[in-house]
Amino acid sequence: MTNALLIFLGKFIIFISRLFNLGNGSTWPGHIALLINKNFIKDLLITNNQKLKTILIAGTNGKTTTGKLVQTILERSGKKVFQNTAGANLLNGIASSLLLHSDILSARINYDFAIFEIDENTLPLILKEIKNPDFVIILNLFRDQLDRYGEVNTISKKWSDALGKLDERTTLILNADDPQVASLRLHPKGVNTKFFGLNDKSLATSEKQHAADSNYCPKCGSKLHYSAVYYSHLGNWTCLKCNNTRPKLDISTSSVFPLLGVYNRYNTIAAILLAQEVGISKNKIISALKDFQPAFGRQETLSINGKKVQIFLSKNPTSLNESLKTISDLKAKNLLLVLNDRIPDGRDVSWIWDVDFEDYIDEFSNIVISGDRTYDMALRIKYSQPIIHDSLFIIQEDLRKAIAMSLEKTPKPEILYILPTYSAMLEVRKILTGRRIL
Amino acid sequence: MIHNTKYSLTIGWLYPELMSTYGDRGNIIALQKRCEWRGINIEVKRLDIGFDQKILTTCDMLFMGGAQDQQQKIVAEDLQKKSEALKKMIDNGIPGLYICGAYQFLGKYYKEAGGKIIKGLDILDLYTEHPGTKFARLIGNIAVKVSNLRGVTHATYEVNVQTLIGFENHGGRTYLGKNIKPLGKVIKGFGNNGADKTEGAIYKNSFGSYLHGPILPKNPSFADSLIKLALEKKYGSPINLSPLDDSLETLARKSIAKRLSIEL
Repeated sequence: MTNALLIFLGKFIIFISRLFNLGNGSTWPGHIALLINKNFIKDLLITNNQKLKTILIAGTNGKTTTGKLVQTILERSGKKVFQNTAGANLLNGIASSLLLHSDILSARINYDFAIFEIDENTLPLILKEIKNPDFVIILNLFRDQLDRYGEVNTISKKWSDALGKLDERTTLILNADDPQVASLRLHPKGVNTKFFGLNDKSLATSEKQHAADSNYCPKCGSKLHYSAVYYSHLGNWTCLKCNNTRPKLDISTSSVFPLLGVYNRYNTIAAILLAQEVGISKNKIISALKDFQPAFGRQETLSINGKKVQIFLSKNPTSLNESLKTISDLKAKNLLLVLNDRIPDGRDVSWIWDVDFEDYIDEFSNIVISGDRTYDMALRIKYSQPIIHDSLFIIQEDLRKAIAMSLEKTPKPEILYILPTYSAMLEVRKILTGRRIL
Repeated sequence: MIHNTKYSLTIGWLYPELMSTYGDRGNIIALQKRCEWRGINIEVKRLDIGFDQKILTTCDMLFMGGAQDQQQKIVAEDLQKKSEALKKMIDNGIPGLYICGAYQFLGKYYKEAGGKIIKGLDILDLYTEHPGTKFARLIGNIAVKVSNLRGVTHATYEVNVQTLIGFENHGGRTYLGKNIKPLGKVIKGFGNNGADKTEGAIYKNSFGSYLHGPILPKNPSFADSLIKLALEKKYGSPINLSPLDDSLETLARKSIAKRLSIEL
């Protein structure tokens, strides 16, 4: 079947899917297209869409937000841009996104840029389909869903093999502060490589968090020395033994940071660095950042019956640590923790014991716990207290009731902060907005 | 019943920086809290790469968790230098808990997916083989019936038959030799190798297991039996721990048991 026919078929499937409210068709039209033509992505991009510029964004945390930042900036400068649906970041999601944005008659994609957030395991696969992406951003590498992704070092090895095949047509944008990510620079040859990282010591933490992964030099295995740690294992690092060191930064700050938290500083400067490479003016970048609206569930603010709710997606130890740190800086008092263990969350919830709850738990006056693994989270909180007091938190397995209860216990000018895992975030949003997003 | 500060315990946490990948810290937190709540003084010594092996002998209990492959190799190098000291402690009956990668380390060898053999510390009569990358990792919630904890030490020491609840995630398959007993029998899940229904191992007062979760917070009686073993070993007399309110722990166990369709 030709791709034009596949696009027609795919669009028809999306139409039917939406008509009967079966979801928005973010993955399975692409799934079917790939079943019929396994080279669907490659063919579509090579045959009639050579002008479309592709941006791949990989990393454990921050893909969706960085993609949205890039999209906002590019659109502000008049570019036509599309992005795969957040979370639909496997090959089928990327194929679906291409389908959705193809012209049904000409099979052309009438856009300037395609942004794809790519799942950790999918990056090597997509680099076989999109052999010369214009940009690849690698944000970070943290332990996440060990049952699904495998271990950090395994992923890093797969990435470096896949990136090693890139050539001068690609600009590689790497996080210099993450030793594993920065070390990916050793492999691609002739690739234009740019680095982002932080240089603001006032943002540095006093001690390294327990969940940190890359304490050791990716090159020689010796312990790394840090002159500043910004979060987890990200910072200004150097290996005293083999002289492997943080690369020189091409960007380290911005006059505008639209989102809270040190982790979002990284996402922001990564997006700015890409925009600069595209040739977008500083003024356009800054004005786009000023109007930026967060992606769903990523510091998204909702108003429910006159009370403010803010959702901080917290999907792994680093992400939950950073959410806690950020809301603690905001003097948060009301907290709803929602822990699920479905496939998108990772089935193993052991990771909650790597989160530094001990540093923050006393600051909250209202804690409600819910989700598939309510009791695991409740135990974690119980064991994070200096002394046992039962009244510290409320357990409510029914998420709808848990949300209602935590809202009720939140006094009016205060904000209810909801920290959910991925599938829990989708559920929370569905309950709060009455709509499904994926 | 004890509830005073007359007792104290020192736990040696082997390689907290490198061997603590799957929430293993939760085991240390559980031991620490359950001692503190009873007024037992507890000190945790972090024994990272290059630690002085003399510190080992000041510990009343040892704990070591799992790791990612690269980290495990760095640890293996350091640990081989200290294997004599560690073996002596284990042979002397110093209580210890060794999870996943640490458990594999104590055996004779680990055969990687590619066939390469990594020498173990040869303290426990067991070996581990990865059957190859084509074989699925053993992943999921697990329940293990434990009945032979009884009599591993002091005559007065007794633990009722109990079910351990946890989560396993390992590629290697462990096989026990004749000179070692399993920790328990798999009711749901895979255990040591997914074939012989055994899970973990007991040798003197040392316990090896594949259970993450982590194992101790959701299995408080196992945590308490380790504390009790360590106190009795240190003070040389039978000790009864004061009971704690474990109703939340029980609910957490029950919610997993329900999913696995088993009775606790």
